[in-house]
Amino acid sequence: MTEQQGSGNGATHMIVADNVKKWFGQFQALHGISMRVGKAETVVIVGPSGSGKSTFIRTINRLERHDEGRIFVDGIELTDDIRNISQVRSEIGMVFQSFNLFPHLTVSDNITLAPRNVRHWPKKKADEKAMQLLERVGIPEQAQKYPGQLSGGQQQRVAIARALAMEPKIMLFDEPTSALDPEMIKEVLDVMEELAESGMTMIVVSHEIGFARHVADRVMLFDAGKLVEEAAPDKFFDSPEHERTKAFLSQIL
Amino acid sequence: MSDRRVGPGLQEDVGIPTFDDRERALGAAPVVEPATPAEWVRENLFSSRFNTVITLVVGSLLGFFLYQISKFVFVTAEWAVVANNLRGFMVGPFPVEQIWRVWVSAYVVAVLGGLSAGASPNRITWTRRKRVVGVLVAIVATVLVVLLVDTMLVLTLTFGVVATAAAMLFVGRRQGGRLRRPLLVAWLLSFPAIMVLVVGFGGVSPRLWGGFFFNLVAATVGIFLSFPIGILLALGRRSSLPAVRSFSVVFIEIFRGVPLVAWLIFSKFVVGLLLPPQMNEPPDIIKALIVMTFFSAAYVAEIVRGGLQGIHEGQYEAARALGLSTTRMMAFVVLPQALRSTIPAMISHFISLYKDTALFVAIQVTDLLAAARRSAVGLQYFGRIKETLLFAGLLFWIVAFSMSRWSQRLETRLGVGIR
Amino acid sequence: MLRVLAQILFVVAVFLVLRELFLNAGFNLGQRNEDLSFDFMRTRAGFGIKEHIIAYSPNQSFVRAFLVAATNSMFVAAVGIALTTILGIIIGVARLSPNWLLRKMAQVYVEIVRNVPLLVQVIFWYSGVILTIPRIQDSLSLFGIAFVSNRGAAVPGIEGGADFNVWFLFALAGIIAAAAVRRYRTKLHDETGQPHYRFLFGTATFLVVAAAGYLLLGDPFSIRVPEQEVRGYAGGLQFSPEFAGILIALVLYTAAFIGEIVRGSILAVEKGQKEAAEALGLRPGQQLRLVVLPQAMRVAIPPINNQYLNLWKNTSLAFAIAFPDLINITTTMINQGGAELQIFSLVVLTYLGVSLLISLVMNIVNRTVALRGAKL
Repeated sequence: MTEQQGSGNGATHMIVADNVKKWFGQFQALHGISMRVGKAETVVIVGPSGSGKSTFIRTINRLERHDEGRIFVDGIELTDDIRNISQVRSEIGMVFQSFNLFPHLTVSDNITLAPRNVRHWPKKKADEKAMQLLERVGIPEQAQKYPGQLSGGQQQRVAIARALAMEPKIMLFDEPTSALDPEMIKEVLDVMEELAESGMTMIVVSHEIGFARHVADRVMLFDAGKLVEEAAPDKFFDSPEHERTKAFLSQIL
Repeated sequence: MSDRRVGPGLQEDVGIPTFDDRERALGAAPVVEPATPAEWVRENLFSSRFNTVITLVVGSLLGFFLYQISKFVFVTAEWAVVANNLRGFMVGPFPVEQIWRVWVSAYVVAVLGGLSAGASPNRITWTRRKRVVGVLVAIVATVLVVLLVDTMLVLTLTFGVVATAAAMLFVGRRQGGRLRRPLLVAWLLSFPAIMVLVVGFGGVSPRLWGGFFFNLVAATVGIFLSFPIGILLALGRRSSLPAVRSFSVVFIEIFRGVPLVAWLIFSKFVVGLLLPPQMNEPPDIIKALIVMTFFSAAYVAEIVRGGLQGIHEGQYEAARALGLSTTRMMAFVVLPQALRSTIPAMISHFISLYKDTALFVAIQVTDLLAAARRSAVGLQYFGRIKETLLFAGLLFWIVAFSMSRWSQRLETRLGVGIR
Repeated sequence: MLRVLAQILFVVAVFLVLRELFLNAGFNLGQRNEDLSFDFMRTRAGFGIKEHIIAYSPNQSFVRAFLVAATNSMFVAAVGIALTTILGIIIGVARLSPNWLLRKMAQVYVEIVRNVPLLVQVIFWYSGVILTIPRIQDSLSLFGIAFVSNRGAAVPGIEGGADFNVWFLFALAGIIAAAAVRRYRTKLHDETGQPHYRFLFGTATFLVVAAAGYLLLGDPFSIRVPEQEVRGYAGGLQFSPEFAGILIALVLYTAAFIGEIVRGSILAVEKGQKEAAEALGLRPGQQLRLVVLPQAMRVAIPPINNQYLNLWKNTSLAFAIAFPDLINITTTMINQGGAELQIFSLVVLTYLGVSLLISLVMNIVNRTVALRGAKL
């Protein structure tokens, strides 16, 4: 059987979610989310905690399984009998709130682990790529250190480099700066901005309004498991349509 | 196989759905029904080829074992060996006419136990599964007791104990937290009280204790006495005085490093050696209990030491900043926290101690295990060791398992334990 | 001031107690006319020992008897530790299996075995199982090359021929060659990214060299199949029922605890680690091998060390089934010739000594795992 690989069949949206619902036991976390992300688009999702933002973003790379509805990633549908989920996942990079760097490996080994073991790259090629990426995120000198020796902002930048090492088509960010001290947030956001400008398709769950305004192509509000409003940043922040959006914005701005 | 391209109805260039469309699509979402039994079986047992193989292999092994065990329990076994020796199993060579003392102790424990269970704030959530299991256990237990106990008197007394505990459970529930302090005192007093009851007033010397009764008493003695000694040893190990510290270390390492069996066997010699000659030699069983207490104390000391190490420096600093003396600081700030964090390890150690009381067989004490062995050696029931061992094992298991379950509940309630 | 006084009083109290104990001991020993020398150890033992790892006869001294007892116990412990580690890991992984049946069975196993005293289990396996196996005339036989009866078990064993020692050199060479091949394959993997399969290559190399040695030397050893005789077995490797009894009980009991430790250590690895590995596209086997297990092992080693120590000390339970272990033999020695204090101190030293050895080895393992984990 053949699987549609990539954008060959004319799908212009990298990510399509259609009426996605998810339950945790009796609790419904997602109430039918429908949305679309185009190539090179940066979408920022905001909303109160518990609104399902993280849950939704995790269904995209199938860290959570959706119960109803359909999800398409680069034309490939995520279903129960998807055979090469690992392959799909290697096209999607994810950055976590708590970094999740591997403490028993050096920074460089953290970055090269997946390319060497999933794409079977030779060590030399992987190490070079790792150094390139470390340069790109601004911390090449940390290559041989262990995650425990780095600051939070540095660790998160390593996490971004690690995700980029697989040369993904899509990057997912789950509250990347929420666990950082204020003075380190900027360095991470700068990396993310550079990434967006270079043409990466990104979904970012975040509270960083400045970043959303500045970098996002679209902003979405999640509340209680529903997609309440989505619009271009200016429209979203300056003239929101929905009551709940206004309420949310008034709380944080 | 589903169509994997972007499906119909989702035009590639359709605009972002309007808010109203979405609103209509929502509405009261039905809750997903729990998986049907067929689905569950498929999911958990046969989800992949490997999984299926495992299920078949384990399943057939399980079937084989269950068949053999059932065949044994219901067909080949001669349970009379247990029924006829029941008193020996429970109290060993305890004189029959004094057994009322044991019964009174049992009722005391039932009363206190029921009250404590009732007064305790953590309620067991009675899911349907737990209810079913509970009822099954109750039925099986009742059947077993009825089958094994031969006299009406003992039968009544046994059910009486259960009834008393249950009644006290309700009383405890009604009284609630009010009972916490008095119950604590009662438990602490109960142990010496029971000792007095059994030994004093023309009672029974420890030489004649045996059976499961002995195991329980020995475990309780060990726990009660080794706890304070262990704490002292742990403090001694942290002392700044080299003499005290080295003594503690040597004591702990020697007692922990040698198996309990060796200690028990040599207890007669060691204790006899160290006691002043003028003193009357205590019975061998007491010497063994002394040695077991020190053995347990060494382990308690290490557990407490671990707990003390877990206390943040900040606590000491704060206490000193408040002007507390060392003793006060230890007593009111450090030790309470340290002890609390060690509760799981402590209970686990006490369960081990309880299991280790079976080792008294080595010094010719007729505990439950010894009784089990002995009754399968006589002419009448020769070779019936499997029945007696299974019964003995079951009794041991019930107490140990209950304690470990209780410990797990305690852990979640206190929120401590190894993360 | 009060504190100093209290401390002084405490020290004085401890000192007085110790002094009292020493004086008592001295007096009591004097009373019994004990001489505290170890001379008696050289006298003839005069009793037989049913099974022994090292050679023994009743004509040899107490020293020899003691050594026999100690090595018996140590042999049980060594085999036990090896077997229980394997079984423990299996049980730990089974406890986490997605297969419900396997998971539940492992859980039931652990809950039962952990909560029944080990001595009950020892006696059960010995009296309840092994002794009830058929008598020697009706031995159960496995394809005619292995036998089990209530006299024990016999399996095919290796009997060294004339050039056995030379073949051993081949085996050694095979190990060195295997190590070299392993390094070569690792280098290849680094350079081209191909999977290295180094375990397979290394093992294959060793087998090839060992086989070559066997052929070249022309039968340096043979496999001796045991034969069933009237009262026992001849040839092959033999195990007494007592040995089997204590070994099985120890292995099954300790494996339950090790299984819980393995399970706990895997669960202790943060969920996020596994998720990050998953998100990167690593398959479940790779996630376990490269991310979860290295972190789990570091947590698991100290408690597993503890279990090994427990297993060593629990070999003393063999007293109940007449296996000639340290406790059994020393008790006999005391019955023969007194000298309790000396023998007791020897017992203490032996148990402490081997415990120290085990802990030392585990410490080295701990440090290696920590370093290697850091170098991956």
